[in-house]
Amino acid sequence: MSNGLPSVPVSLPQARTAARPFSLTYANRLRVAGFLFVLPALLHFALFKFYPMAQALLLSFFRYDLTSSPEFTGLGNYRALYENPLFHQALGVSAKYTLGVAIPEWFLALGLALLLNRAMPGRGLIRLAYFLPIAMSQIVVALVWKFLYHPHGLVNGLLATVGIGRINWLSEEATALPALIAIGVWRGVPLFAVVYLAGLQAIPRDYYEAASMDGAGPWQRFRWITLPLLRPTMLFVMVMSLLMAMKVFTNPLVMTEGGPNGSTRVLPYFIYETGFAFFRMGEAAAASSILFGLALLFTLVQFRLLRRGLA
Amino acid sequence: MNAKTRSRVLGWVVTLLTVAGAAFVLLPYFWMVSSSFKTQDAIFRLPLEWMPREPRWQNYPSALGRFPFGVYFFNSTVMALAVMAGNLFFGSLAAYGLAKFRFPLRELCFRAMLSTLMLPLEILLVPTFLVVRQLGLLDSYGGLIVPLAVDAFGIFLMRQYITDLPDSLIEAARLDGCTEFGIYWRIVLPNCRPALAALAVLSFRENWDQFLWPLVIISKEALKTFPLGLAQFEGFHSASYHEMMAAAAVGMIPMILLFLLFQRAFVRGLTLTGLKE
Repeated sequence: MSNGLPSVPVSLPQARTAARPFSLTYANRLRVAGFLFVLPALLHFALFKFYPMAQALLLSFFRYDLTSSPEFTGLGNYRALYENPLFHQALGVSAKYTLGVAIPEWFLALGLALLLNRAMPGRGLIRLAYFLPIAMSQIVVALVWKFLYHPHGLVNGLLATVGIGRINWLSEEATALPALIAIGVWRGVPLFAVVYLAGLQAIPRDYYEAASMDGAGPWQRFRWITLPLLRPTMLFVMVMSLLMAMKVFTNPLVMTEGGPNGSTRVLPYFIYETGFAFFRMGEAAAASSILFGLALLFTLVQFRLLRRGLA
Repeated sequence: MNAKTRSRVLGWVVTLLTVAGAAFVLLPYFWMVSSSFKTQDAIFRLPLEWMPREPRWQNYPSALGRFPFGVYFFNSTVMALAVMAGNLFFGSLAAYGLAKFRFPLRELCFRAMLSTLMLPLEILLVPTFLVVRQLGLLDSYGGLIVPLAVDAFGIFLMRQYITDLPDSLIEAARLDGCTEFGIYWRIVLPNCRPALAALAVLSFRENWDQFLWPLVIISKEALKTFPLGLAQFEGFHSASYHEMMAAAAVGMIPMILLFLLFQRAFVRGLTLTGLKE
């Protein structure tokens, strides 16, 4: 039995008669104990996750500026968002950013994990070099890259050596979002490579040896052993990479303030601005609800797709 | 060239590429540290100066003197440690209940908790702010710490580990008359040290780094965190990149120390969650 309990036959007559009034049977006492262990976390989630979620949904039907009392507006906030070109722009920017970061991450992280899984001299040190940036603060990353993307910064300095002229990375509409996407990928690939690496190391060596003896080449071994056995890891990486990219906030705030012309105003930044700069809390809550709906949709679709793939 | 030497050469080429990739990943940090020792004119000079001509150590005291960075550093550390303690205690507590007990709606509880992974602060920003305001915790350590003190990720990670602990361990303690909480405290916790270490490192890292949440609820100077201080530096002295890089480099130190000291726990934490479904 995998679960921690001895199976106690609760319904036996003597178990019932043995119980004194106001005392619990052994099995019930364990049930209560188990529930009590979980209770503090449940209460915390109720107060800081489920209640706020309900609150956000509710608030999205009100007009509220933090000072005067909330005023019911029905679908007014949703209509306002629907008619707000900035919201449409933010949706588009978020979609581009999320896919632009997540999809390259899936492939590059797997590639990097395969590279780091090979035997090579100094492997520990090389892995350390790749993994060290995972520990860096978001805010440090934002400041450093703002400096690198400076018109006279390192990126343009390096490009100048190959004869490419100066680009104002963060102040041109065409380059600001791609510049932020590049940072996201640069930061995410090592992180997800660690996860893939663990998945790769969990695959038993003898599978590969047996396949080699049957005459399978490197590609066939990858296709028929590595890929299928990495499926659970892939599901994890896909979901986490999308969720992480969806909630990006620090870089657009510190590096571009959503600009130029809103070209980097992702949805979380739009929500922050609407709520805490313009004090339209109801509208911000409506936008939050939509962002949550999207996150939920992404996750469910991926679970469906990958479950089917497993079967 | 026979097949053996060819595959040898190919192996070396791939290794070199891997090393080059690592250099590329680390380059921004190298440039940050190098620039933090340069003069203001030297940081944008062409051709690029990879190493400062003569290191200007005074960039550091001068950058750190512009704001009370000592206070910010302290606040970030307090916040990260307190949130970490909450995550370790409540996370392992809930995980033990979910992994080793049976009670009605247990699966539902677990799923409901897991679903909060999709409700980060970025999404619940406005309502969480309102709840914390109702509790009177704006501009306080409590406001920084309490909403983050329990986290679904920690519960998930600990549950993976506790599920694999042998049941006999727990049953033996129960037969010896140990209380249920005693079993958790004296038997379960000591036996999941590796998972606790992994969670501690990941949690400290993430919370030392919190930016959006303190930005929204903290306005008092005495309660600002280090990331807020860095962002503020950028806002006020955006031209002094050499000093900004010095301040950023200082902000990196706790993370690097943590990573170098606990590299194994760190990587294990990332893998514990990814390995199994």
